Amino acid sequence: MLSIKNLSASVEGKTILRGIDLEVGAGEVHAIMGPNGSGKSTLASVLAGRDGYEVTGGAVTYRGMDLLDMEPEIRAREGLFLAFQYPVEIPGVTNLYLLKAGLNAIRKHRGEEELDAMDFLKLIKEKAALVDMKQEFLYRAVNEGFSGGEKKRNEILQMALLEPHLGILDETDSGLDIDALRIVAEGVNKLRGADRAIVVVTHYQRLLNHIVPDHVHVLAGGRFIRSGGKELALELEEKGYGWIEEQAA
Amino acid sequence: MNDTVTQYSEQFAALSPVFSEGEPDWMTRQRGAAMDSLRQSGFPGQRDEDWRYMPLRPLTARAFDTDITGEVDDLPLDHWLIPGLESHRFVFVDGVLNDAISSNTGLSPGISVRSLASVLRQGPDALPGVSADESLPGNGFLALNAAFFRDGYVVDLDADLEADSVLEFLFVSAGKGKAGQARNILRLGPNARVKVVERHVSLDGLNALVNTSTRVVLEAGASLDYHLVETMGRGTSMINDVVVDQSRDSNLQIMTATLGGDVVRNNLKVRLNGPGAHCELLGMYAATGRQHVDNHTGVVHAAPHCSSRELYKGVLDKRSRGVFHGRIRVDQGAVKTDADQTNDNLLLSPDAEIDTKPQLEIYADDVKCAHGATVGQLDANALFYLRSRGIDPENARSLLTYGFVNDVLGDVEVEPLRDFLAAELSRRLISHE
Ligand SMILES: Nc1ncnc2c1ncn2[C@@H]1O[C@H](COP(=O)(O)OP(=O)(O)OP(=O)(O)O)[C@@H](O)[C@H]1O
Ligand SMILES: [Mg+2]
Repeated sequence: MLSIKNLSASVEGKTILRGIDLEVGAGEVHAIMGPNGSGKSTLASVLAGRDGYEVTGGAVTYRGMDLLDMEPEIRAREGLFLAFQYPVEIPGVTNLYLLKAGLNAIRKHRGEEELDAMDFLKLIKEKAALVDMKQEFLYRAVNEGFSGGEKKRNEILQMALLEPHLGILDETDSGLDIDALRIVAEGVNKLRGADRAIVVVTHYQRLLNHIVPDHVHVLAGGRFIRSGGKELALELEEKGYGWIEEQAA
Repeated sequence: MNDTVTQYSEQFAALSPVFSEGEPDWMTRQRGAAMDSLRQSGFPGQRDEDWRYMPLRPLTARAFDTDITGEVDDLPLDHWLIPGLESHRFVFVDGVLNDAISSNTGLSPGISVRSLASVLRQGPDALPGVSADESLPGNGFLALNAAFFRDGYVVDLDADLEADSVLEFLFVSAGKGKAGQARNILRLGPNARVKVVERHVSLDGLNALVNTSTRVVLEAGASLDYHLVETMGRGTSMINDVVVDQSRDSNLQIMTATLGGDVVRNNLKVRLNGPGAHCELLGMYAATGRQHVDNHTGVVHAAPHCSSRELYKGVLDKRSRGVFHGRIRVDQGAVKTDADQTNDNLLLSPDAEIDTKPQLEIYADDVKCAHGATVGQLDANALFYLRSRGIDPENARSLLTYGFVNDVLGDVEVEPLRDFLAAELSRRLISHE
């Protein structure tokens, strides 16, 4: 599904990622943990194709394609989805409009027919119910005036609608109450399947109780300094990052 | 006198006997006085504070042809219809009503829409109020209009009349190098209500001028929804002068949408003369290439308990330039005035420019006046967010731009017009030049 080889990247001349290796197979769930500023969001941004990040070395293959060579919208249409750590507010554009434009762009890319207004409305209402989101949010401007948790839930709604092959969730659990956390986890678990994979970036073990990862990786100083099974997350929760950072040094 | 004024002077000598024929004497005198004032004062120049940022040369370097027939063979009228808009439509060609291509039958009794040219030929008393107006035009363009106008619409609504359909005035510039100069009058009796769409269009490459002057009078409790849609082609410039007088408890919503034309200047003046009057001035302008859009608005609070709200939003791309100058004057005694003015701008290119300036003159106590202006660029984070959802950059930009002007558009109640403006906005800004 996703194969990252020795990936390095910098922002504004500052090196952030220093040789990342990661193999994510179809059907797998990976968790990435690590201290603030270690480069987790940078990695997610590079994978999604955000401007301003310079890849200085390495390669990324996604479903057989050279990911780094693709425009962000093409990555999205090929089934890569990033749930933002900080979802963006877009005044004047309704959630509904964004979702419809996104879904239809993706459908078109896949050679499927675009959904008309009626069919789309039916579909989106189902998805909104799935993530327990009130319909009024569909008619509000994208993320404008949404609470922190509502924004995160909105990301999950988008993911549920767009049904990506690879979902990258950047701290989607931060700021969520217990119920919302469960909903997010359910949403993710529903997406689990043979031709899908999930990468969750999180600071908290509690999410991993709901989304049980196959692999856990620790990112520090722009590199993975430790990988392991789900028990690694428990160990981190207990001891913090210091001990592995020392071991890695 | 400069060359241009001399040329107009010669045109006036040659043509005025023709177009004054059958008019009452007072009108012929008004035309003469206007021409005199143009000869004496000329056109505004860059040194006039109010015209400082305007590229005036394209408008004043030479005289436009004022010999108008208003007749045309073949116009792509269908191309200029607003999809889904049901209206009584009156088509003016170079400022002269063309009955043959208008669809103006079935107006309800109590609404009268007439051609100014024909009203003026109904006798000396046909235009009370206008005939008595001895004041001289306030600038060279108004003088030009007052001296040379050929026609225009005269709308009168009886008291308490609620018009059930939209009045649409489609002004087409058709003649090469011509100056279409309509003079319009809109008068609403007490408690009358109507929606008006006035659209200006032209083919590309005409080198034409549209120089329009409109007087609006709202009597007590009247309510007018007035939309100015300026979608001329390349090579047409425009001066649009609108003056509104509002009596007590009357309501005005005026939306000026400037999307086309080379150099466009909108002068809008609203006088709130009676207590309880309310006006809402909405503006949306989008310019690209080397277009110049200039909005000068003036709201005069001349009576207590009036409110005005002003929201202008502009999007400027390429090397285009925008000017917004919003003046609010609160006269002595106009207590409990509530005035609000906002001008927000989005610059899509590093070469685009906006000059925005509020001007508040407050001579009364106990008033609420607020104003604000912003200039910004497209939010790179928002752009990436949309792209990461599969939307291509072009559509993403157009979505964000649409989102930006959406609160102005949202206040347009005529739905087909709102949809049309949204589509027109993306078409004009996204088209590759
Ligand atoms: N646009 C930028 N300009 C300058 N520095 C940046 C930029 N983006 C990220 N950085 C820096 O890169 C480093 C990694 O940031 P990143 O957001 O990837 O961390 P993170 O692991 O996601 O942290 P957190 O857990 O707090 O979300 C930080 O030191 C950050 O300040
Ligand atoms: Mg982060």
